[in-house]
Amino acid sequence: MNTIHWFWAGLTGAALLWYSTVTVYVAIKGAVNIRDMLARLSKDNEDG
Amino acid sequence: MGHFSWIDGSIVGVYLLLTMAAGIAVRKYVGKVEHFLIAGHQMDLYLGIASLAATEFGIVTCMYAAQNGYDKGFAGATPGILYAAAMLFVGLTGFCVKPLRDAGVMTIPELFDKRFGSRVRWLSGVVIVLGGLLNMGVFLRTGGEFLVTVCGLHVGYLEITMTLLLVMVAVYTILGGLLSVLVTDFLQFIVMSIGLIAVTVLLLVNVGWGAMVKAVETNYGAGGFNPFVNETMGWPYVVFNLMLNLAAVMTWQTTIQRLLAAKDTKTGQQVYTRTSFFFICRFLIPGIWGVAALATIPAAALNGNTLQAMPMLLATVVPVGLMGLVVAAMLAADMSTDSAYMLTWSSVIYNDILGPFRKSKWSEKRGLLWNRCIVACIGVFLLIYGLWYPLKGDLWTYLGVTGTIYLSSMSTLLIACCYWKRANNWGATAAIIFGAAIPVGFLVIEQVPATAPIAKAIGPYYSGIATYLIAGAAMVVGSLLKPKSYRTERQAS
Repeated sequence: MNTIHWFWAGLTGAALLWYSTVTVYVAIKGAVNIRDMLARLSKDNEDG
Repeated sequence: MGHFSWIDGSIVGVYLLLTMAAGIAVRKYVGKVEHFLIAGHQMDLYLGIASLAATEFGIVTCMYAAQNGYDKGFAGATPGILYAAAMLFVGLTGFCVKPLRDAGVMTIPELFDKRFGSRVRWLSGVVIVLGGLLNMGVFLRTGGEFLVTVCGLHVGYLEITMTLLLVMVAVYTILGGLLSVLVTDFLQFIVMSIGLIAVTVLLLVNVGWGAMVKAVETNYGAGGFNPFVNETMGWPYVVFNLMLNLAAVMTWQTTIQRLLAAKDTKTGQQVYTRTSFFFICRFLIPGIWGVAALATIPAAALNGNTLQAMPMLLATVVPVGLMGLVVAAMLAADMSTDSAYMLTWSSVIYNDILGPFRKSKWSEKRGLLWNRCIVACIGVFLLIYGLWYPLKGDLWTYLGVTGTIYLSSMSTLLIACCYWKRANNWGATAAIIFGAAIPVGFLVIEQVPATAPIAKAIGPYYSGIATYLIAGAAMVVGSLLKPKSYRTERQAS
């Protein structure tokens, strides 16, 4: 493999690693974000 | 025939039920138009990342990125690298997006109203919706083709599949607006990501990295790895995509809707920076699927339609069980994209095209009703347009050309609005007209048999580059041509 082959191999590996990690992290943090957002909107609707 | 069994059907059914339930459940939080269109400026960072990623990855994305992989090799993922670089640059510097978010507006044309007047706002709304709907018009058919091929359904079911999918998406989008879109995007992001990663690993194991590299080398040589030496790409492709992606990052309505929905400017910019690498995955992961198809499916089996290569591969290699996850993932990708796009164009129609005709302030109830009706009308338009438009050329280029109808002028207007004091409504109008006329003209001469060879000779990349340059020049020349007395009058008023 030459340099440019290594570039695409490295980028593919990085993409899979990054995407797997971010999916788990965003799944946890995003759920908390939804709960907080709905609470704020609920309060906003009550305040009129 | 694909490996789609009752087990897979059950997985897809459970996913659809959960999505619909979540989308409909949050409708009770929508009390104002602001909640419907921009979630009341309450979106936080991680929900923003999930929503932006899910919105910007539909079946259509998967199809064109895989087609790029099949037709151009690894070099086909170049637009993803350029897009990621543009996202990172704009997110880190706040170029254009910071003043836009700070202005507290609901759409980009609303910002233009403050600087260029209501006519420019209205005209901007028209080109945004025109370019956006033409762009989105091919989503349904492409998505339908993927699902029919992968599931092994008869092609006659394509229209029914498309219609059912759109009706489901329309129901929760009409009821809950951006709130439903954000919550379903979140679920769809998780399902979509699991499916994308699982299939990529499966293909890397089954086909093998070495076989993929060899297939690209055999078919495209060095051009399969380097866009500058690829026969179908070269520097015009790279420059056009650089301009297109930078403009899209700054003004693409679905991206901007998430920036404007963010709870503050800092959060909006963070959504940009932290989602930037996703745009490499967005092109590279389906691109790898396309390369895997290149290594396993001979060109003769495709009858010249390389768009079908990746779905054909998945139909044969993905086993029962995983197939259900793949279809659910692709449905997730498509539904999140369709819902976000229907809502985003409706927000511009309501806020900027119909806005000037509202003589008095509407009640929140009336505003919500109108927004819901507009979303429904867009759904009907998509069904009709999606059924009859015959796509010519490669999909990514069609999307680039139709997107350029508004991206060229809107990015020019936004930069001038934020950073050039002498910019005025003459320049803005000229930029909008030239920015729309060139790509529309290109699409027309491409469709007419007598002029089609001319379109082929010019090519979409030179036409695209010219559009951005001419739109910029029109803004400068038009602004400078406006007599000083007019400029003074405008400033005074």
